[in-house]
Amino acid sequence: MNGLHALHKILIEHAHPRPDSVAPGEFLEIEPDVFAVQVATNAEEVARLEADLAELGVGELPLRDRIFPFIDHGAPAPTAGIAAGQKRWRDFYRARGIAVADPGAGISHLIMTEQGIVLPGSVVALRDSHTPTMGAVGAFAASLAGGTLSLFALGRYWLDVPRVKLVRIEGRLRKGVFGRDVALHINGALGQRGALGSAVEFAGSFVRALGMDLRFTLCNMGTEIGAMASYVQPDDVTLRWVKDRAKRAFRVFDTDSGFEYDGVHEFDASTLDPQVAAPHAPDNVKPLAEVEGRHIDQAYLGSCASGRLEDIAAAAAVLKGRKVHSEVRFIVTPGSREVLKAATRLGYIDVLHEANAIVTSANCGACPGLHGGILAPGEVAIACNTRNFPGRMGPNAEIYLASPASVAASAIEGRIASPLKYLQ
Amino acid sequence: MKVTGTVWTFPQDDIDTDQIRRAVYSHLPVSEQAKHCLESLDAGFAASAQPGDIIVGGCNFGCGSSRPAHAAVKALGIGAVLAESFGRLFFRNSISGGLLVVPCPGIVAFAGRGDRLEVDTAAGELRNVASGASLRFPPLAAFLNDMVELGGEKSYLKARLARDRELQRR
Repeated sequence: MNGLHALHKILIEHAHPRPDSVAPGEFLEIEPDVFAVQVATNAEEVARLEADLAELGVGELPLRDRIFPFIDHGAPAPTAGIAAGQKRWRDFYRARGIAVADPGAGISHLIMTEQGIVLPGSVVALRDSHTPTMGAVGAFAASLAGGTLSLFALGRYWLDVPRVKLVRIEGRLRKGVFGRDVALHINGALGQRGALGSAVEFAGSFVRALGMDLRFTLCNMGTEIGAMASYVQPDDVTLRWVKDRAKRAFRVFDTDSGFEYDGVHEFDASTLDPQVAAPHAPDNVKPLAEVEGRHIDQAYLGSCASGRLEDIAAAAAVLKGRKVHSEVRFIVTPGSREVLKAATRLGYIDVLHEANAIVTSANCGACPGLHGGILAPGEVAIACNTRNFPGRMGPNAEIYLASPASVAASAIEGRIASPLKYLQ
Repeated sequence: MKVTGTVWTFPQDDIDTDQIRRAVYSHLPVSEQAKHCLESLDAGFAASAQPGDIIVGGCNFGCGSSRPAHAAVKALGIGAVLAESFGRLFFRNSISGGLLVVPCPGIVAFAGRGDRLEVDTAAGELRNVASGASLRFPPLAAFLNDMVELGGEKSYLKARLARDRELQRR
């Protein structure tokens, strides 16, 4: 291989034994810096984990000090069944002296980065498919699937070395068009299998000009094109954001100049109009204008894709002095308590309340369809969720994915609408 | 690893884990989850599938969430899932859970519902028992093959930890 990607160097640094170089497809045994775990909903699962650890003779967990339990799906508990499962998981962690985040702290990916736990050069293992989101700080963040027991028992797990694709985005957005529109457009252009089995790096002048919030949005979308991990090379924006949050020392890795990407995709943000992903796939992307006027029952702002301060600011700018349509439920679920506090301080939450939006505590909310805005069969939602697979927010309902501004404009009109006329 | 079984086909591309097992069932025991396996695509599948049956899927089978949907498939007694390609998380979860999953480009055109297939993962070949027709595929990486053959991640770790402790004693 002619040179290594920064992601490969991060893996080498965390591998046992430590190799001199790596090749795509090869399996490495990796010791992560952060093992983030869900207070999940299944009681049987924790009973099995306890039995497995006993059978393997594991007492003290080798990664104990790097385990961060969070509770974001179905939190606070919406049903007795889920409450019982969450109690079992809480008890499991507490019995081992591991502090559990409260169910209003927010979504794992936001907490882990905002609190400076996941940093540039880190490897983070987390069983949630949108873990690539955290690659926006320059970490190796692949979703954990398989390997959970290894991490509990051995403190290590196996990862395959990815090929790396480059998505280069240039240009500046037109009015009414937002970072999420760019992410949707790329998702449509590359498709759900566009980066299957690879990692993807986002670069270019458009990315450099973005703040952290929308870099997270881009990296989040890596999941929907099948990527194992997303990555943005840390720069001044990253380092400013990370500096006051970092809980420990970190290291920025660079990609060798001779590194050959497994494909380069170029995009121009300056030609885009507002986009939507129509039902029932995140890559079923078209200009919003093609579905303008479609009746909606619910509008939703939240999720690890678009539940950050810039997202709420964009919705508030559209809604200021206006009201949500009387037949629409507009639900806003901030991604984290930090986001909720900042949005309150800046007056955005007041604007939402005045508009009759429903503002909830910070969690995954309606996105995984467990609580906080489940759709009835036949209903239609416009949402800035991560994905719109069949049944995602309720069986036999339709989800259109769009930017927070488009979601807010649609909430006002009761039908899919462009935000442009509200931003003059 | 060698398995023989009868085929069920789910040839659509991009079947996500929530279609394999919806999130609303995730708090139930896996034996209950199994009864809802793939119900939105074939309402009769879970009730009719027999232990050892083989699922044939399209591209990116099991894309989407990392929730352990494979456990419902495993609990149903499915012997193997052969697909054009897999979502990474479903694939890894399955190997870890001892469910045989094999990427087999060309499988959708090759296999029909009710066919009996004989699969040899180490050799990278599968055969239609009735017609004798065969399809070659890239053999499963030895590391993955071993883990499934041992019954999944726990058995693999058991062997690994025993070896580590033995080395420490010396």
